[in-house]
Amino acid sequence: MKIKLIVLAISLVASSGVAAGFDFGKLLEERINKELNKDKPTQPAPAQQPAQTPGQAPAAAQSAAAPPPSAKQKIDARQLGFALFGDYSLEEETRIGRQISGNLLGAVPLVRDDKLQRYVNLVGNWLALQSGRKDVTWRFGVLDTEDINAFAAPGGYIFVTKGLYRRLNNEAELAGVLAHEIAHVTKKHHLKVLKQSSLIGALGQAASSKAKDSDQVVQNLIGNGAEIMARGLDKNAEFEADRVGVVFAARSGYTPWGLPDVLQDLAGLPAKDSRTGLLYKTHPHPADRLAALGEAVGGRLDAVRGKELADRFYRIR
Amino acid sequence: MKTFLIPAAALMLCVTAASAWAAPGTVLRNDKLYSQPSASSRVTGSVAKGASVNILAKQGGWLRVTSDKTTGWIRLLSVRAGAGGLGGAGLGDVVGDVVGAATTKSDPSRVVTVAGLRGLNDEDLKQAKFNADELERLEALSVTATQARNYAGQSGLAAVNVPGLPEPKPAQASSPWENN
Repeated sequence: MKIKLIVLAISLVASSGVAAGFDFGKLLEERINKELNKDKPTQPAPAQQPAQTPGQAPAAAQSAAAPPPSAKQKIDARQLGFALFGDYSLEEETRIGRQISGNLLGAVPLVRDDKLQRYVNLVGNWLALQSGRKDVTWRFGVLDTEDINAFAAPGGYIFVTKGLYRRLNNEAELAGVLAHEIAHVTKKHHLKVLKQSSLIGALGQAASSKAKDSDQVVQNLIGNGAEIMARGLDKNAEFEADRVGVVFAARSGYTPWGLPDVLQDLAGLPAKDSRTGLLYKTHPHPADRLAALGEAVGGRLDAVRGKELADRFYRIR
Repeated sequence: MKTFLIPAAALMLCVTAASAWAAPGTVLRNDKLYSQPSASSRVTGSVAKGASVNILAKQGGWLRVTSDKTTGWIRLLSVRAGAGGLGGAGLGDVVGDVVGAATTKSDPSRVVTVAGLRGLNDEDLKQAKFNADELERLEALSVTATQARNYAGQSGLAAVNVPGLPEPKPAQASSPWENN
């Protein structure tokens, strides 16, 4: 589905590029193929098919069928250039994360318990120190809702809901949850999603050429409010965050079983629990996450010993 | 004799405290049962993917389970707790009508949220307006790396060298571009 959009996008850009006097086509095709293949899990090539760059043939085929660009189509060259060639700078990443977090906090405020918030920040920052990402300022918050969920936004913004926090039994479980979210930031999962949509967005701008101030650009990029948090990520990104998160927790001296224990707890909840509605909309079922994690872990963590720290775990009122 | 009994009783207490589980579970993949929570202990049996077990105890990365006549320790990640069966997608052979399907259907990332949700929902998030005050609160509560290091050190947490986990083999053939 999405691939068709992209393909259409390629042909659109390619033809308008020609119209503007650039020979963009080839360059774009290569770049987009690269982008497409970058995130794709490597798949064994079918045995007797001739070597061919995936996407190239359909792109060419679509190109022929693509409608000619209308006269009023004008593409924001900067945004397009970024979408295709750039990566978000740290400053851009932080601004995006700040906007998403501010919006999320507009939907749910922080729990009014500074000791709790400080505790979560202390645990979270220790984990983040083992994550290998030192350029961002990490911020952690507990959201005042009984919903069971956790969120990450680019630039190091991490949230856990009170509903999830209440279910935790020790610091290692908190660490497991936070480490999963930290992994989303270090792996830039949300930025990748935004990059994909900004590519579509840049082309969508062909329809409207009104000037926008930069805050508006950021808001346009992330959509309405904090809806990006409700859309969720690809399930492979969630599985990856589980794998990476378990390792971050273990590297921080915690038992690696904190996150699995939380997933076991969630797996034991009644399927129709209203507090997990959004969680299961945006994440694979805990049983699938446990199974996927089990495939990756096997006996690899058998020798890892770590702490649970149930004693100093901050109990919520 | 008596001096022996007291630590033994204390140990029993600890074990029961850690094992107040006794919950139903489902085996997520074919795996062995061991006599101890360790892969170097004696194998007491095996369980097949999809089998129902009763979870008796938990210790680190291990669960003590009983299945039919066999009892033993199995890896924590080879079993899911709860009566929901195998779960959603990725386990195509037994998707069927497990309880998990009530919320997850065939693809758990594509679930329609049930109406009347009291917690957070899509609409709340979509309608959310930027709250500068709360964001300022969040920023004011943040701590420095040094504070975090000190706090970790207080409970004896230290950085450990743990290699990363491998990416899965491309078993699920679908491209991430089609899952969105």
